[in-house]
Amino acid sequence: MIKQLFPATMQLQLQQLLPVYFDESQRSGSEVWRKDLSFTKGEYVKIVAPSGSGKSSLMHFLYGLRNEYSGNILYNNRPLRLYTAEDFASYRKDHVSIVFQDLRLFPEQSVFENIELKRQLNPFHPAEKIKEMAERLGIGNKLQAKSRICSYGEQQRVAIIRALMQPFDFLLLDEPFSHLDDKNSQNAMQLMLEEAKLRNAAIIFADLERIDYFPYTRLFHL
Amino acid sequence: MAASFKPIRSLLQTGTNTSSRWFSYIGLGIGVLLLLCSIQMFINIQQLLGGETKRKEGYDFISISKTITNETMGQLEKNLFNENDIKEISAQPFIQGVSPLVANRFRVQLSAGDIIPFSTDMFLESLDNNFIDTVPPNFSWQEGQDYIPIVFSSDFLEIYNVFAPGYGLPQLSEATASQVVVYITCYGPNGLQQTFRGSIVALSDRVNSIIVPKNFLDWANNKFGNTTSVRASRLYIKTNDANNPDFLNYLQQKQYKVNKDKTKFGRVKQVLQGIFSGLGIFGLLVVILALMLFSFYLQLMIARSKDNLQLLLLMGYSPNWLSKNVSKQFIPVYILVVLVALALAEGMQWAFHHFAMFDRPELSAVLHWTVLATALFLIALSLFTNYRMVRKLLYRLV
Repeated sequence: MIKQLFPATMQLQLQQLLPVYFDESQRSGSEVWRKDLSFTKGEYVKIVAPSGSGKSSLMHFLYGLRNEYSGNILYNNRPLRLYTAEDFASYRKDHVSIVFQDLRLFPEQSVFENIELKRQLNPFHPAEKIKEMAERLGIGNKLQAKSRICSYGEQQRVAIIRALMQPFDFLLLDEPFSHLDDKNSQNAMQLMLEEAKLRNAAIIFADLERIDYFPYTRLFHL
Repeated sequence: MAASFKPIRSLLQTGTNTSSRWFSYIGLGIGVLLLLCSIQMFINIQQLLGGETKRKEGYDFISISKTITNETMGQLEKNLFNENDIKEISAQPFIQGVSPLVANRFRVQLSAGDIIPFSTDMFLESLDNNFIDTVPPNFSWQEGQDYIPIVFSSDFLEIYNVFAPGYGLPQLSEATASQVVVYITCYGPNGLQQTFRGSIVALSDRVNSIIVPKNFLDWANNKFGNTTSVRASRLYIKTNDANNPDFLNYLQQKQYKVNKDKTKFGRVKQVLQGIFSGLGIFGLLVVILALMLFSFYLQLMIARSKDNLQLLLLMGYSPNWLSKNVSKQFIPVYILVVLVALALAEGMQWAFHHFAMFDRPELSAVLHWTVLATALFLIALSLFTNYRMVRKLLYRLV
């Protein structure tokens, strides 16, 4: 409904957000916690977050995995707190995609099956695109291998490709390159930028330190 | 959602608990079979022992009387039916009509005149005409008429023919009996007496009595017995089915006496229906047990696939879609289980009809429609409980 009324205001808003398990000292100096922020489509947001600053918490809150926070997160002016299980399903299927720090693949399924499980849910690309992207990121020969026998770096690329199979307004990245060398990271970043552009989507990229090859438009320190 | 469930199927680990799944399928099958067979046998009993097939004349007529015990002996009031008793009996749904058998309240003597030197003290009774199986048109009486038509029990004639030779009396055929003119003498108080002519106008197989027109007996009871309200010691009951268990229960509970032979099928039916009801309830319990076992299996399956299912939900699979599709997996197996049970029940019914009942026409070799309806209901029940269970478990993972 809201989407139809305000198609241009596709927004993710943070209002005074703070994990309930954080004490006041942890929020001081943060440019995200307890602030009012608003992210719109097309933006590239870089969040620099040292260990323990709540980076994964933030990503999980935004994806609707957890709700142990005070304050509010609004997508298109509607608080995520009001979402039902079904609402979250369509939120994750149509609007927000994520690359988890801990990847979360099906260990017993092949690389191809892992990606296809996401693609078929709401196909943005045809199935052939899986092979194309896998080859581009250097895991073309791993498609039939079970994901649990792939190296962590390879699994990271599987998770990245999986996240790019659906339509989205926001792409959430939680340390997506922790096990990739610079060349592979740049390669993957390039692919994600292209895909975001294709959807006019925003990227919210949280990492331990600044990464040069991410052309952010806004920078926050968590 | 257009997504296919096929790639998801392999994420549901059914793994090592196949045996518990098969046990629950077999349990379900046995329970359903027991239940269906019990229902079918219940219907078979109905069809075999009255109930659905009415007698040719449509009704059973039986006489009931109050049981005379040592306590009620000699207390006429307690052994006769009063107005309230009759009202209550006729109000029962399984009784289509009641008529009291009214007896004479004065002394009656019967003699056969000069032809047969035979004379005896007698009794007379009256009954509504439509309770008598044979009522000729001339079975009527008007005041002042000295001829009384009599409907005579065939059994009595038979008894007469048994003892007649011993007394030097002639045996009578049915035709002759109706030609014999008898003399009926009624004695009242103070030496009042009147003699009527009478003859047998019909023999009755149904009524064990000597029946005279009702208005005659009412008049005579008034004149010779000085009473207008004569209570009945016997009631004639018109019922669709003398073997109806409700009817028998009612009689038992009221301690009314009835011809046991006429209702013996009903007693057998009561016992058989009891047995098959018990068996049916047992079948239902087995079905419930099997469904419970199956729900444990589902819980185990979902607990084992918990990580995978959680990840699917995390990726944006709708919990509603997932529960529908997960439970859909079991539809064919449920239908198959019930169909196999149905086929076995049909086989049993055919064998019962053919080998035990020798193809009797009252029974059908195919299952009754209520059995089919029950089978459908059981499929629906198992699918519904299954879906609810999966849904509950999946939403717990969200």
